[in-house]
Amino acid sequence: MTTINLTELTELQAINKKLASGYHISEQDTTLWQQLDQNIGAYQALFNALGHDLQHDARGFYYLASDESTPNMGKISRAIALTLFILIEHFANQGKDPLRAIFDEPADLELMQTLVQLNKHLFDQLEIFSGSDLRKDVYLRMIRLGLAKETERGFIHLAPVYRYIDALMEVNDTNFDGLEEEV
Amino acid sequence: MIPAKKVLNTLNEHWSVLELLFKRFKMTDFSVKDVQNIIKHKNPQWTSERIFRETNRLLNQEIIIPLAKSSQLEINRAVADFASFLLQEEHLGLAQEITVLVKDLERLGNRLEQAADEGDQSELRRFSRIMDERVRKIIKLFLHNENAIFNIVEQAKSDSSSISLQKRYRAVIEAFDEYIEPMLEMVDIRGEFHACFNVIENQLSQQIDDIELYGRGAQDKRMLEQLRTRILDMHLVGRESLRKSADMLMPLREELRRNSLITRQASKVLAMIRKNGVDPMLSPVQPEFVSDIQRFSLGQQRHMVAYMAGLAEFEHDEYQLPDQSDVPAYQSPHIPDYADVKKSFSNTGKTKIALLGFLTGHYPDLDADELLFLYQKLISDEALELAQDEQRVTVNIAEHDFSLYPFNASTKIEHTNDNN
Repeated sequence: MTTINLTELTELQAINKKLASGYHISEQDTTLWQQLDQNIGAYQALFNALGHDLQHDARGFYYLASDESTPNMGKISRAIALTLFILIEHFANQGKDPLRAIFDEPADLELMQTLVQLNKHLFDQLEIFSGSDLRKDVYLRMIRLGLAKETERGFIHLAPVYRYIDALMEVNDTNFDGLEEEV
Repeated sequence: MIPAKKVLNTLNEHWSVLELLFKRFKMTDFSVKDVQNIIKHKNPQWTSERIFRETNRLLNQEIIIPLAKSSQLEINRAVADFASFLLQEEHLGLAQEITVLVKDLERLGNRLEQAADEGDQSELRRFSRIMDERVRKIIKLFLHNENAIFNIVEQAKSDSSSISLQKRYRAVIEAFDEYIEPMLEMVDIRGEFHACFNVIENQLSQQIDDIELYGRGAQDKRMLEQLRTRILDMHLVGRESLRKSADMLMPLREELRRNSLITRQASKVLAMIRKNGVDPMLSPVQPEFVSDIQRFSLGQQRHMVAYMAGLAEFEHDEYQLPDQSDVPAYQSPHIPDYADVKKSFSNTGKTKIALLGFLTGHYPDLDADELLFLYQKLISDEALELAQDEQRVTVNIAEHDFSLYPFNASTKIEHTNDNN
C-alpha cells in the first residue's frame, strides 16, 4: 500500500483544482507537472481513494479519466474533435506531415476562418459560423482544458491532443456499422 | 593525351564552377552559355574574353565534352564520378549491380580452382587479382550505397514543407523496397551470397592447404590468404552497411506509414461525419472530460479535509459475505403458510363455499394483493375441485372492490382432503 505523505504533496490544491475541471496537466505547467512526475504514486492513490481516475499518458500529460461527461462538456468535446480532425485533413491536403504540423503550426484566426469556410456544413451543426466563433467556442475552451496554449502567433496544440488522435484511430468499421443500423 | 597534371590544375582552378555545374545540372546536359554564365557568376571581375578563354580550356581538356550530334555539353563522365565521390553526392545503385558482381566472383572462383588444379601459376595469379578487384568493387558499392541512403534520409528529413509528404518520402520507400529488402534477403545467413561465399572460401582454403601440402607456388599462398580474408571481410562490411542503411530508413518508413494512416483515417471519419452528422458520429468516440458532478463533488477545501479525515481513520475490514448455501428461504412476513391455508379451507367442511369469502373471513389482516395471491394459489391447486361461477360478482377484499367470476369449491372437497 502506498503511503501518502501529504506534506510532500505541496501542489495538491492547485492540481486538484485543475484536474477536477477537466484540465490536462502537460509539461508546460512546469511546477504542477514536476510535482505529479515525482509523486505520481501518491497522487494516483489519493485521487483513486477520492473516486477519480488519475491517468498518466506517456506522451506527456496527466488528466482525470472519466466515462461520461455532462451534455455540455460532451458538446465541447465533439467540437474539439471535429476541429482537430478537420485540421488534420487540412494539413494533409496541403501536403504537410499532419502529425508534425498539428504541433508545429500555430492556428491563427486566418486558418480558423479557412477551416470554417471549407467545412461550413459540418461546423453549422455545432453552431460555429465563423473563424471567431471557432476561436471562442473551441480554442478558448481548449486552453481551459489544457489542450492548447495561446501565443502571439496563434494557438499551439499541446500533447493532450493525442487523446483525440487516439479517438480518431478508434473509429472503425464496427462503430460505423452500428450507426448504419441505427439509421 | 592530355597530361593528368594539367587536368588536375584546371580542376583545381575551376572547382567552384564545376561544383555548381554538377549540382545544378546533375546528369543532364547544358549549353556553352550556361558554363559562361556560371564562370561569370563565380568570377565577376573577369572580362568576357577571359571567360571565353577559360570555357575553351575546359572544353579542350575534355572536362566538359559536347554531346554527340548536338551543341549541348555535358560533364565528362570520369570527372562527374570523381566529383560525386568528392561531394558524396552519391546515387543509390541497384541491388542487381552487386548481385552480378557476386555471381561473377563465383565464376572466377571456379576458374581459379581450375587453374590451381592444372598447376597454372600465372593463371592462378591472374584470377586471384581479378577477384581481388571485384571484391574491392563490391565493398566500394556497399559504402557508396550507404552514403546514398544517408543522403536520401537527410533530404527526406530536411524540412522543405513545400513538397508533399508522399513526394518527400518516395525516395525513401524506393530505396527500401528496391535496395535494402532484396539485399537483406541475399545477405541473409541462408541467402544466395552466403552460399556463394562458402563455396569460394572452401575453394580458397583447399588451395591454400594444397600449397602447404605440396610446397608448390609458396609465394601465392599469401595472396590467396589475403583474398580469402578480403572476401570474408566484404561479407561483414556488406552486412554492417545494410544494417546501418536499414536502421536509417526504417524510422522514416514507419513515420510515413503512421502519417498516411492518420490522414486516411481522418478523411474516412470526416466522410462518415458528413454523411451521418456530427453528433451521432462523434458521441461514441469523443474523449470524455471530468463531468460537473465530479467537479462539484470535490474541490472545496472543507470537502478535501473531510475526505482526508475519512481516509486517515479508514480501517481495512474484511466484509463477510453470506454463504450461498445457508441463505434462509424467503418468507413473506404476512402471508401464512399455504399448506395451513389449504388445510383450514378443507376443514371448513362446507360443501359449497365461496373461496374469497373464506379467505377474507379467516385472514382479515392480509392486504388485498396477499389475499389474491392465496386465492390464485388455491384455485390452481389440482387437489381441490373448484368450479367457476357463471355470474359476475363484485366483492370487497381488504377495502378494494374486485369484480370477477369467482371460483367456488365443489362438493368433493372432503374426499380429496382425506387422500391428503
